Amino acid sequence: MLQDTLKNEQAIIDMKNVGIRYDQGPEILSDITIALKRGSFHFLTGKSGAGKTSLLSMMYLAQKPSRGTLNVFGKNVNFTDRDSLALLRRRIGVVFQDFRLIEHLSAFDNVALPLRVCGMNEKEIRKRVKELLQWVELDKHMLDKTSTLSGGEKQRIAIARAVISRPDILLADEPTGNVDSDIAVKLMKLLVELNKLGTTVVIATHSEKLVNDFAYPRLHLQNGGLSVVMPRESLIRGAKLYD
Amino acid sequence: MTRNDPLIARKQELPLKDNSTCLFLKVMISIAVFLFAVTLAGVLSINSMLGAWNSSILGSLTVQIMPVNHADAEKARKETLEHQDKVIAFLKTLPEAEHVVALNDSQLQDLLRPWLGDGIEMRNLPTPRLIDVRLKKDAKPDYAKLAEKLAEISPLASLDNHKLWLDKLVKFADGLKMLAMSTLVLVIAITSGAIFYTTQTNLGLHRDIIEILHIMGAKDTYVAQQYAKRDAWLGFVGGCIGLFFAVPTIFMIAGLAAQIEGGIISEARLSWFSWGLILSLPLFSSFAAMTTAYYTVKRTLEKMM
Repeated sequence: MLQDTLKNEQAIIDMKNVGIRYDQGPEILSDITIALKRGSFHFLTGKSGAGKTSLLSMMYLAQKPSRGTLNVFGKNVNFTDRDSLALLRRRIGVVFQDFRLIEHLSAFDNVALPLRVCGMNEKEIRKRVKELLQWVELDKHMLDKTSTLSGGEKQRIAIARAVISRPDILLADEPTGNVDSDIAVKLMKLLVELNKLGTTVVIATHSEKLVNDFAYPRLHLQNGGLSVVMPRESLIRGAKLYD
Repeated sequence: MTRNDPLIARKQELPLKDNSTCLFLKVMISIAVFLFAVTLAGVLSINSMLGAWNSSILGSLTVQIMPVNHADAEKARKETLEHQDKVIAFLKTLPEAEHVVALNDSQLQDLLRPWLGDGIEMRNLPTPRLIDVRLKKDAKPDYAKLAEKLAEISPLASLDNHKLWLDKLVKFADGLKMLAMSTLVLVIAITSGAIFYTTQTNLGLHRDIIEILHIMGAKDTYVAQQYAKRDAWLGFVGGCIGLFFAVPTIFMIAGLAAQIEGGIISEARLSWFSWGLILSLPLFSSFAAMTTAYYTVKRTLEKMM
């Protein structure tokens, strides 16, 4: 079973019989058991309301499972204190569907946020952020407040913010949803490059095209359960186009 | 990178400086520091007053010689003075006594002036004679025994060790002090409560940003420090404003107190140390506001997220 192959000692995110419910409502996700190994790349698919965002939010430690065990970086989140959870979160980059940028801050300050939270010195922050903003072609908007930027620009800022700290895990919710195809390819190439450097990537998407164009396994959510779909062989070869 | 680089002007992630909460807290802290400073000045004055009474009154005692009643005023005066001399001679033999002196007519006249006015002829007036005894440092005479001995020497002599009326005054002063201390506690509690609730409300307003900060890996202390920094500044500015109004008020009250006759209230002087304490109130208010905000944020975030 593929799920068994994913359960190995290198698991960076390890879920066992995880369920999640809000208040006293029904379980949105039930008995999720999966182990994502270090350096893996997965798409997360499923219909709207299938629980993609909930699953991602558990992975980036915004919420704890209602039942079951969730280990991230080998630590059981149910038995990890708040400060230690914060340190774990620093190793996770997140791109939100609605960007969740801080509107009154400039593009620069938004991208710099994860580095400042870690206490990095400002000189190093300036160097890194400028480089990355140049790469996502937003260096001209460096000092603009994000509230003045277009949806596509905000998307790129959100991705830049997620990758600036070179995270071990990158979780992205529809990262290419608001950008044109050229930028989408460029952003996907960035995520692939990060993955090659060892970052574990999970991308939640509705885009069949994206899933088909890139030959990576798919985690599919349906009726509260999770199944894993492997890519077709031909598409694995096709993925080399982006190398 | 030059000083003009706009990237140096880092903005705080939480927009805490530009809202009405700041104005509210500043006004609250100003009022609190004003009340605190005036009350503290009162407490310190009462303390200094008690200290002055203790050193000037408890270190002495007064012996009163009642006037002899006689139709011949001159004779009565002469007999009264004889009693006074006998008592003085005895008092001088006391090992606790450092200095014994009888008040002269002029001094007695000064004491009676507020009641009888000027132009009193002491020689014709049957007034008690007073003997002032200054005790040695740390001397603790047995007042009961002393009173008995004095009565033996002269039936007209009576001892006043000031303790009785001083006790009443001390009780009154202590009552005032307790009242003032309660006011101080109340002021601190109200201000801390205001900071607590405004901080909690503010955390709710900025919940989205705080969530983002948490997801980026910020610890609760990172958020708490931003609130603590802002409230430390508000505490200092509010404290300075409060003090600006409190200092003239203290001087005004001190001026009014100085006009009271009798010298009791005028003993209530503020020392340099007391003034230092009052002037440092903005630092205390800054520290108190900072720590209240810091721990409120930490506690609230633990419950909220």
